[in-house]
Amino acid sequence: MPPRAVLIVDDEPQIRRVVRNAFKADFPRVLEAETGAQGVDLAAAERPDLVILDLGLPDLSGLDVCREIRKWSAVPIVVLTARHSEDEKVTLLDAGADDYLTKPFSPAELQARVRAVLRRSGGTGTPATRLEQDGLVMDLHQRELRRDGVAIHLTPIEWELLRVLMSQPGRTLTHQQLFREVWTGRAFGDAQQYLRVYVAQLRRKIEPDPVRPQFIVTEPGVGYRFKART
Amino acid sequence: MSDPGDARRREIGRALLWVGILTVVTLGMLSVRPQLEKAHIALVFLLVVLGGSAVVGRGTGLFLAGAAFLLFNYLFLPPYYTLLINNPLDWLVLATFLVTSIVATQLLYRARREADEARRRTAEIDRLASLGAETLNVGRADEALPAIAEVIRGTLGLDACDIFVRAPDGGALTLVTQVADNRDRSSGGLVEWVAENGRLVVELRDGTTHLGPRLGLGDASSPPDLALAQRLLLPLEVRHRTVGVLQVTDPTFEGFGASSWRILLALSFYAALGIERVRLAAEAEHAAALRETDRLKDALLASVSHDLRTPLTTIKALAHEIRLTGDDRAATIEEQADRLNRLVADLLDLSRLNAGVLSLRLELNLAEDLVGAAADQVSGILGSRRLEVKLDSTGELLIGRFDFVHALRVLVNLLENGVKYSPSGAPIVLRVARAGPSLCFEVEDRGPGIPPADREGIFAPFRRAAASTPDVGGAGLGLAIARGLARAQGGDVTFAPRDNGGSRFTLRLPAEAAPTVPEEHL
Repeated sequence: MPPRAVLIVDDEPQIRRVVRNAFKADFPRVLEAETGAQGVDLAAAERPDLVILDLGLPDLSGLDVCREIRKWSAVPIVVLTARHSEDEKVTLLDAGADDYLTKPFSPAELQARVRAVLRRSGGTGTPATRLEQDGLVMDLHQRELRRDGVAIHLTPIEWELLRVLMSQPGRTLTHQQLFREVWTGRAFGDAQQYLRVYVAQLRRKIEPDPVRPQFIVTEPGVGYRFKART
Repeated sequence: MSDPGDARRREIGRALLWVGILTVVTLGMLSVRPQLEKAHIALVFLLVVLGGSAVVGRGTGLFLAGAAFLLFNYLFLPPYYTLLINNPLDWLVLATFLVTSIVATQLLYRARREADEARRRTAEIDRLASLGAETLNVGRADEALPAIAEVIRGTLGLDACDIFVRAPDGGALTLVTQVADNRDRSSGGLVEWVAENGRLVVELRDGTTHLGPRLGLGDASSPPDLALAQRLLLPLEVRHRTVGVLQVTDPTFEGFGASSWRILLALSFYAALGIERVRLAAEAEHAAALRETDRLKDALLASVSHDLRTPLTTIKALAHEIRLTGDDRAATIEEQADRLNRLVADLLDLSRLNAGVLSLRLELNLAEDLVGAAADQVSGILGSRRLEVKLDSTGELLIGRFDFVHALRVLVNLLENGVKYSPSGAPIVLRVARAGPSLCFEVEDRGPGIPPADREGIFAPFRRAAASTPDVGGAGLGLAIARGLARAQGGDVTFAPRDNGGSRFTLRLPAEAAPTVPEEHL
């Protein structure tokens, strides 16, 4: 189903104009809200297919808007922020935002990010039994990993880590999200602190050059992302 | 103190009353002497003695016992009106009477004294408890001290009680109690002396002063001799530090005994705690004010960041739209907007460093991870140059404790510099190794190098190497920020000339031993 409506929540008319111009070709309807409260109302009433949310709103914080919408909707949310603060990005992703863009961004960048987010959110269906990218094949059924046909042995934690990352290509997962998905139910004291060590060991096994990773990309200060096919 | 003369007179009055009762009882019994047995007389007298000692006290009781003994003998044991006794058995009666009276009086006295003591202790505990509650309950910490002074004065019945607080640096003393009268409370350096030496001082009525011993907390040693005293100065100590001086004044100090002394010591402990509480409260307020200042600085920088970057977004977007119509000049606008954005980022970082509001997340991080992210970020500007990474990714993991984002900014800055100043075609080398307590990231280029005179100057803001190629962008903030960010997390950035020409910049970050990660098997 092609996307129908995009909601832009931003108090700056100039930014709204930029975003509107970037999307008017792809979305038949562009909704605009100047305040957080208005944004939440419009999101509830119009059920848009995408929300572009600015963090610096006059009434509510963008974070609150994001949490509010997440209570009843899984609509993709892309956040625009002027603060180059990784803590803020982490908080946003943990609160359910799908992606973020720091100002100043170019319209091309925005369009690319949104396309990736929409592709991910559209790809629901039966869970895959086989994940594959650039010669790296993860057979979930056989519990087998191969790169260019050569089998790679992983520990259970490494396997789970790779599975979680690889099943959501292009999506940045925060340290907290990865920890929750991989370690829940496992008794490891300081695992969260050593997440980076596990990633380093995983990279040494699957990356042709672990210093120039082509599969697992670091999002500085935020988390990790499995590189999406371009 | 309540007037002791008054109490004495009342006691004598009551004693005389009981002497009167003895007289009346004796006269009454005398009138019916023939009908009375010796036992009746002894019992009645005993009753009077017990009454007197119970109501008035031991002295009266003993006096009544003696008087009754004589009256018994003189008036009721034949031969009458002599102290002689016919029947030797009467001696036994008399002696029994006397011993019984005296023992009973003594027992009564002891019981009463113990009851009094218990009552006084109860009152003491009550006072301490109420003082503790008062000290803790007053809204502002510094209102507690006058309250404590007032309790000490009231409890011990003294003329005045003052508390001097010593400044936290151990300097000036301030009088904190507010008392209505205008008596001269300055003491000619005596208070200062007590604060300095932590010793008790007693000032006598003739103006001379006597030094007491050092006081330890909870010291229950006997009180100093206060018979001729008019003023007592007590150092107030918390954890062996003199925090103030307690001064009590009274014209006579009459009735100030061991128990008063004990109370005074206990109460002075509260005063010392009160002073400590004032100090801690002030420190907490100060810390809160500093935190608030930092928060405001950070909020200001965030809003500046927002205000500067929002228009840049618009400019970039418009330039992008114009470029799509075929005007190539728009590309330059986009580039310059990006450059302006980097400058804004640099200025904000420098402000954060200078304002001391840089937020640091020191965590376990891997050198490989940092190098990978840095290589990714500079890949776009390398052009014809190569980045050669020399890191052993098969051996032990290189781990450090640092802020990943700030460290990345430093490393990217050093790599960008290398690219800027290197002749095209010459590779930039990034060498990573552990050196003692540090992780070392060495960035080597084949640029013109830095003349010896400039080697420290390049780390100052707004400076660029004199031999720099003409405009390579940036405002010369890079190295200043790089060093500031590195030092903020316990590392450093240094320069050394490279062998055979060029520069070597080294980023050092605190290393950490490789953790033992729980390993499982499939």
